[in-house]
Amino acid sequence: MNEVQGKLIGDQYIIQLSGHVDSGNASAVENAVIDLIGQEPGRPIHIDAEQLDYISSAGLRVILHLRKTHPELTISNVKPDVYEIFEMTGFTQMMTIEKAYRVVSIEGCEEIGRGANGTIYRIDKDNVVKVYNNADALSEIQHEREVARTALVLGIPTAISYDVVRVGESYGSVFELLDAKSFSKLLATEPEKMDWCVREYVELLKKIHGTVVPAGELPDMKETVLNWAEFMKDHLPEEAGEKLLSMVQAVPYDEHMIHGDYHTKNVELVGDEVLLIDMDTLAVGHPVFELASMYNAFIGFSEMDHEIVKQFQGFDFETSQRFWNKVLAAYLGTDDPETIRQVEDKARIVGYTRLIRRLIRRKGLETEDGRSKIEFWKSRLLELLDRTDTLIFSKNELQLEATKENLPKVMDFVEKNLEEAGCPMKVQMQIVMAVEEIFVNIANYAYAPGTGAAVVRVEVSRDPGSATITFMDQGVPYDPLKKPDPDVALSAEEREIGGLGIFLVKKTMDEMTYEYKDAQNVLKIRKSF
Amino acid sequence: MTIQTIKNEDALTVSVTGRLDTTTSPELDEELKKSLDGIRDLTMDLEGLEYISSAGLRILLSTQKTMNQQGTMKLINVSSMVMDVFEVTGFADILTIE
Repeated sequence: MNEVQGKLIGDQYIIQLSGHVDSGNASAVENAVIDLIGQEPGRPIHIDAEQLDYISSAGLRVILHLRKTHPELTISNVKPDVYEIFEMTGFTQMMTIEKAYRVVSIEGCEEIGRGANGTIYRIDKDNVVKVYNNADALSEIQHEREVARTALVLGIPTAISYDVVRVGESYGSVFELLDAKSFSKLLATEPEKMDWCVREYVELLKKIHGTVVPAGELPDMKETVLNWAEFMKDHLPEEAGEKLLSMVQAVPYDEHMIHGDYHTKNVELVGDEVLLIDMDTLAVGHPVFELASMYNAFIGFSEMDHEIVKQFQGFDFETSQRFWNKVLAAYLGTDDPETIRQVEDKARIVGYTRLIRRLIRRKGLETEDGRSKIEFWKSRLLELLDRTDTLIFSKNELQLEATKENLPKVMDFVEKNLEEAGCPMKVQMQIVMAVEEIFVNIANYAYAPGTGAAVVRVEVSRDPGSATITFMDQGVPYDPLKKPDPDVALSAEEREIGGLGIFLVKKTMDEMTYEYKDAQNVLKIRKSF
Repeated sequence: MTIQTIKNEDALTVSVTGRLDTTTSPELDEELKKSLDGIRDLTMDLEGLEYISSAGLRILLSTQKTMNQQGTMKLINVSSMVMDVFEVTGFADILTIE
């Protein structure tokens, strides 16, 4: 009969129902179905309802009967009206019934974003669709919806998909995104907005990295990078391979969120709000992993062929480089080229590891072009491994030689961080003064008569306002708190010139602590504001 | 930091603007060393001084000691940030501040 057709797909027997199934034809439909499945006994059956326009209670009884002999029965491709019937009668709770996916065409649509797993197109003024690369993407879509929800609940501005659609042979998820413009587009078409973009982009990045994710809700990026490092061991000289692996192993677990694919096509300006999209790579981990993928997006992928970034982001390599440098400086809160380079080195180590592995897995070793790229990245990776001992960095940390010449750098660095946290001018001055006194002390005495390295770390919080500054050096152990305070009641004649610095720090800061730990002087000051 | 000096016979006014810290204080030190000879009345105008650290205090103290031998010294137009530092360190009591 017309309403019933059958076909075998793989192991499953598919029954296609069409038109109306009601009291007029229900028993004929049931007999036809029983005939068909009798030809293929023992196979799981499935109903394809793509052509089904209506089902009455008589038709529903046919399905109930079938389910008795075939409890595995599922129904898919159900039209919205028919789905409503299944829903009202409780069938959707009893068995797996899937709605028909709306079909969306992306022909002639503007590409507005691209991520690891799919490409985003604008389908009309208010909506975009992310089309997944993988044809069997329903579980990926589910994953992305879940992580996007996790992120939204934790305060990250993002869009959540409201519908799943069919796009050609693959699936897509639809988001509302009104008048959105990606940062890539802004940089390409309005270059004068570069500094504004840097500021907003870094602010969002810091927000992501400042978000604590409850354990187990997102994958740990370190696990992934460990796999990359394991893979690389077979492709690097033994010593370098071991060093890479142990450096990744030494990165501590970090419960903060990372986006995983944070380039400018995934950051959208919607009205005056900045939104993050393409959430499927969301994870937790140390920010070095994030910077690695950012380095690749802006520089790494295009290092040999500058056209690549132009094709992908729409702006040229020079713009890309400038943007990356500014972002890194703003993110780290310093203009000190040496500090920035050190962090970039760490990001590049992870970045190149990923690029090389990716290319080898795509059979890059089998082509001339692939081999030359792999060799290029490998030689850089080896250089970097040679001059780097750890992947860890702290974003509010300055490492430099403890000399008086470096004092302005230190003071600038501290000031910038305080300003950003909204620290009032007067407290800023007091803290900067304390920093000067302590740093000059280290410069003068810690390594005398030689010089050595010092680390200055700034941790600020906005609400409640508080700043903690930590100084570390490997010079002679010296506890400045043990130094007796000067007698401030003496006359000018009686007073010694000098010896006031540490006293000033003690008097103006809320807290000052010293410890000698792991062969380091660790001096901490804290001030509320 | 910028330093301006106005000399009127044995009276000298030194105006300091900007920051008086480890990096800049040697400059003020030098300036004062070469101009204090024969001065009996020294005025330090700190109106434009935004910041002072112990390196700056050291210079003020040594200048005060020098002036104790040959005349008087006073500070004028001290900002509240700088005044706080003077108070915490007891300098408010040993310097003449107007």
